[in-house]
Amino acid sequence: MSSEPDTPDAETEYQHDDDGGPDPEKHCGHGRGGMGEEVTRKEDKRFITGRGNYVDDIKKPGMLHCEIVRSPHAHARIEEIDGSRAEAMDGVVAVLTAEDLLEHDLATMPTLMDDTQDVLVNEKVKFQSQEVAAVIATDRYAAKDGAQKVEVDYDVLDPVVDAEEALEEDAPLVRDELEDQEDNHIFDWDTGDKEATETVFDEAAVTVEEDMLYQRLHPAPIETCGAVADWDPGMDKMTVHMTSQAPHAHRTLFSQVSGIPEHKVRIVSPDVGGGFGNKVPIYPGYVVAAAASYVLEEPVKWIEERSENIQTTGFARDYDMTGELAATEDGVIEGVKVDVLANHGAYNAAAQPSKFPAGFFNIFTGSYDIEAAYGSLTAAFTNTAPGGVAYRCSFRVTEAVYLIERMVKVLADELEMDPAEIRRRNFIPSDAFPYESATGWNYDSGDYEKALDKALEMADYDHYREEQQRRIEEDADKLIGIGISSFTEVVGAGPGKQCDIAGIEMFDSADLRVNPTGNAVLRVGVQTQGQGHETTFAQIVAEELGMDVDSITVEHGDTDTEPYGLGTYGSRSTPVAGAAAAVAARKVRDKAKSIAANELEAAEEDIEWERESGEFHVAGAPDRSITITEIAAGAYMNHPGDEEPGLEAVNYYDPPEMTYPFGSYIVIVEIDRETGEVDFEKFVAVDDCGNRINPMIIEGQIHGGLAQGIGTAMLEKVTYDDNGNVTGGDFMNYLLPTANEIPNFDTGHTVTPSPHHPIGAKGVGESPTVGSPPAIVNAVVDAMSHAGVTHVEMPMTPDVVWETLDEVGLAHQPAHNVEFDLGDDAEPADD
Amino acid sequence: MTDEREITLTVNGTEHTIEVEPRRLLVHAIREDLDMTGTHIGCDTGNCGACTVLKDGEPIKSCLMFAAQADGAEILTVEGMEDLPEADDIHPLQEGFREEHGLQCGYCTPGMLMAGKALLDEHPDPDEETIRDAISGNLCRCTGYQNIVRSIEYAAEELENRAAADGGAVAADGATDGGPAASPEGGHAAPEFGGDADTFCGREDCCGGPDGADPFDRDALLDDAGDADDTADADAGTDANDRGDTK
Ligand code: FES
Ligand code: FES
Repeated sequence: MSSEPDTPDAETEYQHDDDGGPDPEKHCGHGRGGMGEEVTRKEDKRFITGRGNYVDDIKKPGMLHCEIVRSPHAHARIEEIDGSRAEAMDGVVAVLTAEDLLEHDLATMPTLMDDTQDVLVNEKVKFQSQEVAAVIATDRYAAKDGAQKVEVDYDVLDPVVDAEEALEEDAPLVRDELEDQEDNHIFDWDTGDKEATETVFDEAAVTVEEDMLYQRLHPAPIETCGAVADWDPGMDKMTVHMTSQAPHAHRTLFSQVSGIPEHKVRIVSPDVGGGFGNKVPIYPGYVVAAAASYVLEEPVKWIEERSENIQTTGFARDYDMTGELAATEDGVIEGVKVDVLANHGAYNAAAQPSKFPAGFFNIFTGSYDIEAAYGSLTAAFTNTAPGGVAYRCSFRVTEAVYLIERMVKVLADELEMDPAEIRRRNFIPSDAFPYESATGWNYDSGDYEKALDKALEMADYDHYREEQQRRIEEDADKLIGIGISSFTEVVGAGPGKQCDIAGIEMFDSADLRVNPTGNAVLRVGVQTQGQGHETTFAQIVAEELGMDVDSITVEHGDTDTEPYGLGTYGSRSTPVAGAAAAVAARKVRDKAKSIAANELEAAEEDIEWERESGEFHVAGAPDRSITITEIAAGAYMNHPGDEEPGLEAVNYYDPPEMTYPFGSYIVIVEIDRETGEVDFEKFVAVDDCGNRINPMIIEGQIHGGLAQGIGTAMLEKVTYDDNGNVTGGDFMNYLLPTANEIPNFDTGHTVTPSPHHPIGAKGVGESPTVGSPPAIVNAVVDAMSHAGVTHVEMPMTPDVVWETLDEVGLAHQPAHNVEFDLGDDAEPADD
Repeated sequence: MTDEREITLTVNGTEHTIEVEPRRLLVHAIREDLDMTGTHIGCDTGNCGACTVLKDGEPIKSCLMFAAQADGAEILTVEGMEDLPEADDIHPLQEGFREEHGLQCGYCTPGMLMAGKALLDEHPDPDEETIRDAISGNLCRCTGYQNIVRSIEYAAEELENRAAADGGAVAADGATDGGPAASPEGGHAAPEFGGDADTFCGREDCCGGPDGADPFDRDALLDDAGDADDTADADAGTDANDRGDTK
């Protein structure tokens, strides 16, 4: 940031009360909707009245519909595709295959990890439901009818779905089209100091080890992916409305794939019904719709069905991990080791900054000051859908946090120490920031003990520990388990030199224009999918410019009008675009001073801006003041001769560092020893995301992320059978939590501002999804750890929990003494 | 295509006659033939509830019904909520979702509003468990449901207050139109944050707070309700506390 004007000190300028809330004296008092105020959302009205505009709501004259023909096999060579019967049907306009796309050089597309994926399968199907052909028709029913009549001859091959089996010598080769690819191995990666870590482990008094699978998940936003592509032969311009979390980056990639110059491509991401990382990659459906529109010169709509969404678009996680800790007798952690086998599916299509093949996984030292760390990872191709996207997660930090927070519990149990106490003993001390970790991360700020203490108090920790003991002693029917997770996130990528997507540095941008009548439009390079940017970013401008939040409109998602940005994922919107908005507002404020000086007939150096009133006045003469509205008029109607007219500023913000939000979650569960059912007794979440912009929106984000964490821990898994059939590929089998599975959450917060962020904010959307799964698993394990249980795999469905209870002799038979076998279909009889 | 037949749907009070294939789903007729895109589609198995509408007052998943099966029916979609008798500018449920931050991406919201409407028509004063049950056929991936529950509670209170204030006039009107069967049996407290929430920060001790800004005179309403029973009062107190805890 070369020209940062008039920067307030984020640690002191945005004052907070003891509780971390906005200081009524300093902020809430403005009442103009600035930092810290619970402003209701500006975007809500259109959504609650049915006036949202999602991709599937778009209707254009002459619009055609695209249905994709998908392979029923996971691994098969295509012998022949015959679309003639489909083409003969009423309403069917065209059937496209790889051959048609080859003519336009559109048969393949790059993935975000520089692999090459078939848009429509050219020779060999590599996962079930892969795109084989596309039917374009006048309406969605005709397109579906047509798709059923496309005949494809397959030569079915043996698939491999398990990553470990994929690396065995005689495994079927998934990617035989790649030169030099003789096995299913993609890459090896390692991090940290191996030798030093081995030495620490050799000399340690205590070591523990645990295997754990972070299962394959799907982000599953309620709106699936889709696009309406519209080639305009008169303008030589391609407009694509699509479900995109990163419209600008998608435009650059679209242009590269299609050969259409970038200024002739317009990507619009309208209202998006949730993203969570699912809408970061480019998928074949988008490219097919665009290709079809180009060829047919009509608008073409492609909307994915739910099963297509889960079965083919970016999955998340699928890390099979082994963690080890080395510690002293009294619980000081000296070393951590991790080994991972990553299933990447049929293409290397993970969504990470390009220099980070395993994302930010090497932040696995977490919130702890650990001397030595080493991690290694192997990634494999399998006959499953490609992915490895950051599902509400900053690039694999979720897997890292799960590993370290689970291992700390394993160690605590080994040493028979209280899991809160062992954390306290190992936290990076609050006076050690900025802190450089053993794997090279620069933590900006933190006060981990404070957050933990607050959570313990909110959870009534000591009471539940006693209750837990009492139930064990009385051999009660329901066991109590208490789980803790004291996580640290790393979000807000760039810096650009460190992080890029397909070569483009991960900065972000804001363009702020104040109109002659004193209201303003802020355009940002990020894109909201429910995070509330239209409100939050307006609040930043209201705060920094002394305007009312209602007089600021935030626009996003249209590459024709918005400044270039890298999009919304990895909790980067507030850390990066939020910073850009603040800096742009301060630039406007600086220019406003010269106009104020002109209007008030004073020297520019004598003009002061007062945060409280939001007004400009002459130093020492507070009644000689002027508002931003009057200044805006001056900028257009009476501008100082030595200045450009207008009142506008742009900022492209390259963050100097990432931000490190953190928190402590405490989950108290009750486990039914007869059924294995897990009930949430209490769920406490204390988060610290630095200075808070809109507490209502922050809490909403936390609730949503915690619910996703519960889904992860208790219900969700994309499963395959040995033939590569997806057995958990729709909402009947891939279970999202409903209102009945989600408890009420007790949220709390502390405030430790980021010292390098212009408004001291850190980003929050992903903390709860990252931090909660280990807290939940720790709770379930904790209920059974007195009997020797050290781990339970996710998702912890009742049968999994009951079997664990049974293995360690904790299961109770139903009171009425009816023996039943879980393998049997029959329900236990009810007296 | 072949075999189209003519059907009549009364959607949000307006009668439409359209030609549909027998297999055409009601949700497609609403979204694509009648261009009311507020009703959404989120799955292909009837699990998500994004497509929920009211058919003759009953909540149904419009992706699980053929348009032809709804021939002659009265349908209510999100677009019709503003025109219901109990709506002012917008319907109390819509207001509740905004005030209590019951939505994020907004995709599930129309279905949630419909599920909420069906619930309140049936149970004007539901407890939390009843609300959670009533929306358990509607998936939301964004909010974690807690604020959706509060949004519906907000609407229930608001409807009761109005019924109490109008001496039951709204309830009488509404009954003919599948409207709120709100009976003034409970003396619920006024919504905690009434009025101009755009400029009110949500904290009791600040910005004038709800006490200063509350346009609903809580005491007067309680008086009006007259026969408010003790249980309802106690409930109201608990609700208000619950909200206070996490705001
Ligand atoms: S679209 Fe109807 S239930 Fe999902
Ligand atoms: S608000 Fe996004 S799915 Fe409910």
